[in-house]
Amino acid sequence: MIRRLYVHNFRCLENFELLLREPSALLIGKNGSGKTTVSLALELLQKIARGTNHVRELIKPSDFTRQHTDVPVRFEIEIEIKSDIYEYVVAFELPEGSKELRVLDEKLVVNGKPVYTRQLAEVHLAGMGRQPEGGFRIDWHLVALTVVQEQTERDPLYIFKQRLARVLILRPVPSLITGDSEGETAWPNDKVTDLGAWLSDLLGYAPGAYVAMEKYLRQVMPDLLDIKNERVGRDAKSIRVQFSRDQGILSLPFSVLSDGEKCYLICATAIAANEGYGPQICFWDEPDNYLAMDEVGDFILALRKAFEAGGQFIATSHNPEAVRRFSDENTFFLSRKSHLEPTIVRRLEDLNIKGDLIGALLRGDVEP
Amino acid sequence: MSVNKDRPHVFLIPEDDANRQIANGFRLEFGNRQFHVEPVAGGWREVLLRFSSDHVNEMSRYPERLMILLLDFDRKFERRDEAKGHIPDQLMDRVFVLGVWNEPEDFKHANLGSLETIGRRLARDCRDNTKEVWRHEFLGHNAEELARLCGRMRAIQ
Repeated sequence: MIRRLYVHNFRCLENFELLLREPSALLIGKNGSGKTTVSLALELLQKIARGTNHVRELIKPSDFTRQHTDVPVRFEIEIEIKSDIYEYVVAFELPEGSKELRVLDEKLVVNGKPVYTRQLAEVHLAGMGRQPEGGFRIDWHLVALTVVQEQTERDPLYIFKQRLARVLILRPVPSLITGDSEGETAWPNDKVTDLGAWLSDLLGYAPGAYVAMEKYLRQVMPDLLDIKNERVGRDAKSIRVQFSRDQGILSLPFSVLSDGEKCYLICATAIAANEGYGPQICFWDEPDNYLAMDEVGDFILALRKAFEAGGQFIATSHNPEAVRRFSDENTFFLSRKSHLEPTIVRRLEDLNIKGDLIGALLRGDVEP
Repeated sequence: MSVNKDRPHVFLIPEDDANRQIANGFRLEFGNRQFHVEPVAGGWREVLLRFSSDHVNEMSRYPERLMILLLDFDRKFERRDEAKGHIPDQLMDRVFVLGVWNEPEDFKHANLGSLETIGRRLARDCRDNTKEVWRHEFLGHNAEELARLCGRMRAIQ
């Protein structure tokens, strides 16, 4: 699980530190307070782990806070994996007169011991196990994390990259999700338009994960019979959902499901992925979107419960029912005094709110 | 709330935000959609008013529904009797009055974890038929109601 995320000089995040000690967390705050920007910072790190290593594909000069291009943009993340603490740091700078950012410094540290460190073009490998200490030079515009070679699947570099690459950042747009797919992916995109490919990869890798999926879906759609990801061409598949009742069986293409029902399937796949691939970190931006009022609470609690054993579930929300399903120690209030000032984050338990939280939020009485 | 009303299910009305957080932990540990937490009532009298106005008729319609009224006792033994006075005789066996002896904020100094954690531990006690947290001095007065409730909760799990 993520223990710490630090971001500096990236959009509205200046000297921003999110300290997490729970397997689930909720970010709340007014529009424009920086909740989604936190997910964008995490997404940048996820993209690096997924292999995007050219700086221009990760960050642009317009991402600097209020054009403060003379100050580096810095990202730091600490992830706990099986009691080991992995700390990854990367900072970008914009050289004077240049239109493209480059890497200023970078490092991966495990339990306080460096795996590698980097200053501009110089990468220093600390040497681990049989691997000797060494170094190499790298293009300033490339991130080293994906360039440094791991030796085995037990290599801390491999373990960290896998965990970070598998971070789910979800902002589903159900109307764009058809259920049709070509190929497979363990790394769904944020809009989850590749749900079918995600499902293919997951059930190919861990067929038993279907049980977790079905278990959840039967709770929210009691007449569900099964989910099929049928082959409809040489490399093409299409999801069909079958329902059964006394009257018979109804088979529907995924595309005709309601937006909320599509979200059930995304939720079920995320829960199954956490079982199938192993513990995952899931950041879901407004998971209550598209859901019926009476489903929000259970939807949130199902995700919280599913990710609590080794994984992590982080959500943003404006929905009162979603907010109610978290507590003071795992709810973070983000705020900004104006567009010219940075995001401030406070754990709810530090704000000493009296009375009903939802009422205080509705009145705008919650202040950092 | 999306419980299957034809099967045994539990509703809970929390008095305030602290009780809501205890209920959150209880529901998380219970891990079952047959447990629904209502919005905060805003006072113990309001819990009873909400119960009378919104739930008495509904409970008659849905015989599988159990109701937990989670309120603060404010160090008053008579609070339970007062609450019971709002429960129609025919619903008495399905309604449970539980709460902290004074108020949940007292737990902050009891070294039992956050309110949500306490809720989780209470649910585990209920599930495993133990009294690790329920026997705490702030909760011991619930023993009788608890004995009635936990057996029925285990049947739902």
